[in-house]
Amino acid sequence: MNESNVTCKEVMNHICDSLGEDLDSPKCVAIKSHLSECSNCRNYFTSVEKTIKFYQMYNLDVPEESHKRLMKKLGLDE
Amino acid sequence: MEEAQLISSAQDGDKKALAELVKKYEKTVYNFSFKICRNPEKAENTMQETFMSMVKSLGQFDGKSKLSTWLYRIVTNHCLMELRKKKRNFVSIDDDEADVPEGAFIPDWNSIPSNIFENTELKNILDEAINKLSPEYRIVFVLRDVNGVSTEETGKITGLSVPAVKSRLHRARSFLRNEIGKVLEK
Repeated sequence: MNESNVTCKEVMNHICDSLGEDLDSPKCVAIKSHLSECSNCRNYFTSVEKTIKFYQMYNLDVPEESHKRLMKKLGLDE
Repeated sequence: MEEAQLISSAQDGDKKALAELVKKYEKTVYNFSFKICRNPEKAENTMQETFMSMVKSLGQFDGKSKLSTWLYRIVTNHCLMELRKKKRNFVSIDDDEADVPEGAFIPDWNSIPSNIFENTELKNILDEAINKLSPEYRIVFVLRDVNGVSTEETGKITGLSVPAVKSRLHRARSFLRNEIGKVLEK
């Protein structure tokens, strides 16, 4: 814990709101301030961000055969 | 051609415009289906069902919502129906288990490169973690975090209120973070 007016527990519970939304809300400002002082919470924040990044990077191409079957099923094959 | 023009032309029976629309959303629909259904065969089947539904109902599409929202909703309903048939038990994350215990030391993930999951074995870790998550949470996580759909749109697609979307997202993120952490923090 440090001098911010939010606890580590609160930061961890609300950290997700600060990932992409309501960035200027009083809660998020307090969270950002807390993160700048608390390395444990900062590590938690980074790990959640990385988790999201991993799943964002995990993408598949539509298999060529699946594409062909789809277009045929829809009557759109050339 | 702009999307609105493509839709309008497709509604007038222009097959080329319809094919363009399908190609535009094919990868998105396939990936979303795969990430929710967790099976390539089911993902293909869901993709086909989704576009058949789109073709059938395109005449009624009034443009008030985004076409992507409409497609996501079809995929969501289809996958949930399929998954409920299986009645598989998923990990419950309605309690505090998704949270990190108070006072626990959290290692620094900064040194982990983001592209390590190009490695097949590590991809399995991502698969295993998300497979444990119940579909209702998985859908919110994939829509909001992976596909970048807004909280409000995610609510419309899933029929959830904005606070409910936020709550599920928080639980899903924490759960996945902890599951992956069990391997990466060893």
